[in-house]
Amino acid sequence: MSDNRLPLTVLGGFLGAGKTTWLRHQIRHGLRVQVLVNEAAGVAVDDALLSDAAGLTVLPGGCACCDGRGALIAALRTLADRRSQGQRVADLMLETSGLADPAAILAAVAQDPVLVHHVRICATTVLIDARNFGAGGAVVPLAVRQLRAADRLILTKTDTVSADAVADLVATLRHLNPMARIEAAVAGQSVALPVQAGVAQTVQTGDARPLQALVLPIPADADWATLSLWLSAVLHRHGDELCRIKGVIRSPAGRLLIQTVRRQVQPPEVLPERAGLDDTLAIIGILDDPVEQTRVLVQSLARFLRP
Amino acid sequence: MCNACGFPARAGHWTDAGLLTAHDRLRARFRRALVLARVLRPYGLTAHDDGVSAGITLSTLSGASEIVTEPEALWPTAERLAGRRIDILDV
Repeated sequence: MSDNRLPLTVLGGFLGAGKTTWLRHQIRHGLRVQVLVNEAAGVAVDDALLSDAAGLTVLPGGCACCDGRGALIAALRTLADRRSQGQRVADLMLETSGLADPAAILAAVAQDPVLVHHVRICATTVLIDARNFGAGGAVVPLAVRQLRAADRLILTKTDTVSADAVADLVATLRHLNPMARIEAAVAGQSVALPVQAGVAQTVQTGDARPLQALVLPIPADADWATLSLWLSAVLHRHGDELCRIKGVIRSPAGRLLIQTVRRQVQPPEVLPERAGLDDTLAIIGILDDPVEQTRVLVQSLARFLRP
Repeated sequence: MCNACGFPARAGHWTDAGLLTAHDRLRARFRRALVLARVLRPYGLTAHDDGVSAGITLSTLSGASEIVTEPEALWPTAERLAGRRIDILDV
């Protein structure tokens, strides 16, 4: 008997690994999937980027492997119901938050008494940021759990590091997860891995403090010249703790998508006009007191913006 | 650039995103210098941009000065001239 259940691919990877960029590229090039997106910060920046998917469900309320597990199960059950009623549902792709442990999500889906008859977990793809993995000599324990859960590892941003560094990273990843197929992609397009053999590096798991999220409102009249100056000052001093910043800022040129990974800022893209949660920055990092830290950030930004 | 998704976005430094004309970029330079002068005053630094030099000029009160051309170098240079770390969240 053929397995008629809906195939589910879990797309994982640490904050800023390039999950949305990769998925968006696959969709633009013909991948037809029903996408479920989960954001750790509770602000769905991603839904605007994935509007070409066959279907899109945004999972609110925290990470799908812990707080948001109920929302994920409910969303999957809704899709399974729809299919049982004869509607077409494309293959499922769950884009996890950068803080999710794919193994916990797979376990939750596999243990659900309804979903087990409707959803077949077919593969876990985990993206690895070639530039930032192991930067500073340490890897957060979560990143190791994520890559160990993978059937397929895709190195991203390999164009920003040397071929030797990529070869070493491949060797390190083979050591950590010998089962996974390893590939590479730059901005979503597949690229070849270096042919030379690398040397596996010792991976130290770094700061084990949990990562938390905050959402920073940006005043609507904030001008980009000042805002970017402020952001560069914050990242200069605090880039190591603020692992990931993502948000959409309105500028005279249109809606700018701001994305940072530690100290690196992606060239902001201009997004199409569309109503959305603009003028907020979702910040994820080692935040001991997100409420207090939000207040400090708001105050310091206000000092910059003062006329 | 991939013509499907427009990646990568327009070239240039990220702080110049969305500044389409030379006029916009010049105005942003002046604006940044103005804000920077105010923010760096407590650290004993002045910032000035005449719009013609290759970058922004940072000076100490004792007269040392340096032209910063790369946006990445701005804060490290300011810290070096001021002789202390600059944390804008720490007031």
